[in-house]
This record gives sequence, C-alpha cells and structure tokens, in this order.
Amino acid sequence: MADRILVLVEHDAGVLRERTWELLGLAHRLGGESGKQVGAVLLGSGVQGLAEELAVRGGCEVLHVEDPALLEYTQQAYSRVLEQVVAEEAPWMVLASHSPTGWEILPGLAAALGVGMATEITAVTLESGTPRFIARAFNGKFEVQWTLGEQAPFLATVQKGAHEAVENVAAGSVRALSCPLEAASLRTRYVETREGDSGGVDLTQASVIVSGGRSLGGAEKFDIIRQLAEALGGQVGASRPVTDSGWLPPEHQVGSSGMTVTPKLYIAAGISGAIQHIAGMKGSGYIVAINKDAEAPIFQVADVGIVGDLFEVIPALTKAVQKAKG
Amino acid sequence: MKILVCVKQVPDKDSTFRVDAAGTWVETDNLTFQLNDYDRFALEEALRLKDAGEAEVVVCSIGPERASQAIKTALAMGADRAVHVHDPAAVDSDALGLARILHAVAKAESFDLILAGLQAEDDNVAQVGPMLARLLDLPCATAITSLQVADDGKSIRVERELENNRRQVVDLDLPALVTVQTGINSPRYASLKGIMGAKRKEVRKPALTDLGLSAEQTAPRMRILALTPPAKGEGAEILQGSTTEVVTELVRRIKEKTGVI
Repeated sequence: MADRILVLVEHDAGVLRERTWELLGLAHRLGGESGKQVGAVLLGSGVQGLAEELAVRGGCEVLHVEDPALLEYTQQAYSRVLEQVVAEEAPWMVLASHSPTGWEILPGLAAALGVGMATEITAVTLESGTPRFIARAFNGKFEVQWTLGEQAPFLATVQKGAHEAVENVAAGSVRALSCPLEAASLRTRYVETREGDSGGVDLTQASVIVSGGRSLGGAEKFDIIRQLAEALGGQVGASRPVTDSGWLPPEHQVGSSGMTVTPKLYIAAGISGAIQHIAGMKGSGYIVAINKDAEAPIFQVADVGIVGDLFEVIPALTKAVQKAKG
Repeated sequence: MKILVCVKQVPDKDSTFRVDAAGTWVETDNLTFQLNDYDRFALEEALRLKDAGEAEVVVCSIGPERASQAIKTALAMGADRAVHVHDPAAVDSDALGLARILHAVAKAESFDLILAGLQAEDDNVAQVGPMLARLLDLPCATAITSLQVADDGKSIRVERELENNRRQVVDLDLPALVTVQTGINSPRYASLKGIMGAKRKEVRKPALTDLGLSAEQTAPRMRILALTPPAKGEGAEILQGSTTEVVTELVRRIKEKTGVI
C-alpha cells in the first residue's frame, strides 16, 4: 500500500479548517505527478458529517476513526491512533499542517517509524520519484532544500497558506477504521480551550494595520507607530519579539503563532520578516515595508518598500498622511 | 524533582550570514554563537521550579567544543550540572539522531520533567523535543506559555499556544516532556556569583559509545541538499529619493491601491 499520500485532517468546533483543503490541494498535485492515491485521516468524535464533506470536496478516501477520547485533540490519544492508522495503511507520504497539532504529533510518528521528517515546507518537488522538500531557515533568510533519503513514508508539516485549496475533484468515499484506544492509559488530559485576552483589539477586523518590530527598541518607542496607525484609522500590530518583551500585549502579535490578518493595507516597520510573521500577514491587500536592512526578507512579500531609518520615515509618513487627509 | 533541559547553541540571529562553500549551510568561522532563544526560556522555566522548591536542573547539549560556552551560560544562570555530548560522530546527526542521543542520556537517569525550546533559531526544525518524548514514551505538550505543577507533584498543567490568540489547557502526568514558546517568562541573566560558581559545576562529556549508541543509529536520514538566499521573485519596489519624496510617493500609492486615505 505504499502508494498513498495521507493527509492529517484538522477540524475545530465542528468545522474543517481551511488548511485541510490546502493540504489536499498539495496532495492531489503530488498524486498527479507521482501516480499515488490521496487519502485523508479524520480523527474525532461525532464527525461523520465532516467525513462526508471531506470525501466529496476533498476527492479522496477518508479514513475515519471515531472514539470518545478523540473529542478534543490531545497529543497522546491522537498520536496513538495516527500511529495505528499509518502502521495499517503503510502510506508513501504523510502530510500535516505546520500547526500546534501537526508540529506536536508528526515528529513522534517519525521517531516511532525511524524515518526523517521535513518541517514547515512551502513546496515539494520529485526527483526520480523521490521527494525533496523546500523550507526556510535562519528566520526566513535562506531557502533550504531537504532530502529525507529513500525510505518511505516521507513525513512533512506544511506551511499554512502556501498551497491552493483542492478543487474540481471527483468525490471519494468514507471508510471507518477501528483503532482501539485504552482511554485509561492516556497521560494527557484535555482541560479547556480558551481565548486569550483581547483588550478590545481585534486585528482580524482591521482594514489598516501598522506593525512595529524589535528594532523599535522599547515600549515607549511605539508612539510613532500608534500615531501613524491613528492617522490611517488603523490598528497597531507587532512582531513576536515585541510581545514577548512585553512592549505590547499578546493580542497585538501578527504571525502564525499570533493573529492571521488580511487588512487592505499592512505597514511593517522595522520588521525583518521572520517566516512566522510573514505567514500571518502575507494575505494583506497592499503591503508596505520600511526597514534599514535592504536584504530583510520582508521586502520579498511587500508590494512597496522604503529602505531607511524608521524613526525618520514613520513620523514623516504620518505627517504626509495627515496632510493628504486634509 | 529532577529536570532535564535540552539546549542548543546557535549563531546570533542578527549576524550577516554567507552561504558556505558546499552550499548547504552558512559559513560559521566569523559568527558569534549563543544559547538558542527558545532554550533560554525553557531553562528559565526549570530554574523557576528549582527556586520554588526542591529540584535539580541538568542541562544537556550536543555540539562541538564551542557548545561548551552555551553550557557555561546555562550553568551560570543556575543549572546544577551538565552533559555535553561532543563526538565527531554526532556532527551530522539529524533531528532523530539527536533525539536518540538525548534518549540515551535521559534513560540513564530518571527525570520527572524534560524541557526543550519549541524550535532552534537556525534550522527551524522543531522536531527533537516531540521525538524524544516518543522514544521515552512520555506525554508531550509543545509551545507552552504556562506551566504549573499540581499540588500532589504527580502532574503538570500547561497552556499550549494555539493560533489566533487562543490557548489549550492540558494536564500531563509526570514524567512528561514539554517544549517552551518564547515569552513564557523573562529569562534571568547570569550573576557574577553564578558565573564564578559555574566553573566548579560538573560537565560530563560522554562519547556516543559511552551512551551505547552506534554511528549507524545516529546517521542522518534528513539532509540539506542546498541552502540559498530566497528567490528574489517580484519583491517590493523600493522607493528612491529623499525622505520627503519617498513618503509623498508612498501616500500617493496607498491612496491609489487601497483607498484607505
């Protein structure tokens, strides 16, 4: 059966997450190039409806495991079931999203199987049938091509938003699998999922976001960012080091580990463009980057850039915006 | 409580990097190395548990001679002792190879809690922690932003950072392994006393054979074939001119492209 590409499905509150469709889009493209079939692994409790939806829109066989212990994601329950499914199905490749679920359970699967794994990939190419994985290193400054050798299954977590969602595929089917899980032996227990404090900020609804990075140098330096955001009628965002340092509360953080945002206008000031920041803002309508380092990765995703000192450029921009608004 | 913290020494992320002659990594000759940022937060979390009660904190790092600097930093911050796996056979190890080495180190002692950083800042791989958990058959939680030990000392309650400002709260029975997200705490700096005291602390340096490992077990499956600056693609159009000129042009474009002004 080493002829299949399995995709780990993610769902939340009864809804399939968008990234699942992206994974299936990638899997179908690779399937077309390699002649492999596509399958989706759906773990949960009371998710028959999702299984049907996946089979139809995802165009693949859905391997569906139902168990009360899978109602909420926990690392041990999901890992054990996924290992059983992979042992039985012996796939050629297993893809998961580079998400808090994917990065938590896929490495364990690789360790159990004694195979390699690629992390947060943006692309896969086939060389004589063997996959090579493209990812980033050094905070996005370099692109890296990984090989995992010749031994299947090939495992990878896939960057969110890097692939087109699946479309125009013929409907597949659902197969229920039985994977015995001794609930009493599980040593991870779900307690609750909660929203972080929002402080009244909802960046996902903002049409303009002005974000500042580590090179601002301190909490008090954010005034220039606030003034520009105010002039544009927008919200203040930040990169991870800023919220980690406590210069702004966490709800301001833009990135794959923070908020994913899609404003009409996104201004990145003094943000170098770490992978995880870019993943959270690249869907913005128009992206402006201001940075003193002309080589900063942020300029690759921006539409327009200014190379310069942000303490000079930002106040001047604020004045120019105020003037333009009259 | 006996705690193991897995740490890695990485190049300063603000360095100017150049691709090496082989085209598979960066030139390391002129770089400054330091403790991986995620691992500093992991170590601080362990030291806080030590401050709060009885705990022994052991750090383990796998790396060349220069990694002893990162270990010194960890000992100066307050770790009690260290294991430095410094073996030429480990140089090319991939994540699973490193996890197998750490497994050999960890199973020789019985740790109640193992902490690691969520990922390394250089290769961005984020696998060694969860792999080690699987090899030891420990419950695992990643990207934690909070950790509390239960009153009976038999479990921990952690918050895992999810996306879009959400958190999952989960209980793990001890022994357990967690990987730590940045921002969970404010890592301390080593005091002068700490730096002096670090010199007297034990650093064990086992070779792979001392750990009962063969070179075959740590041979990499995962290898970098090429490391290149990202394709320039379209990229941003860089505005040229004086500050007044560039901001005037920028305002014009923002008006035209977005209509928000």
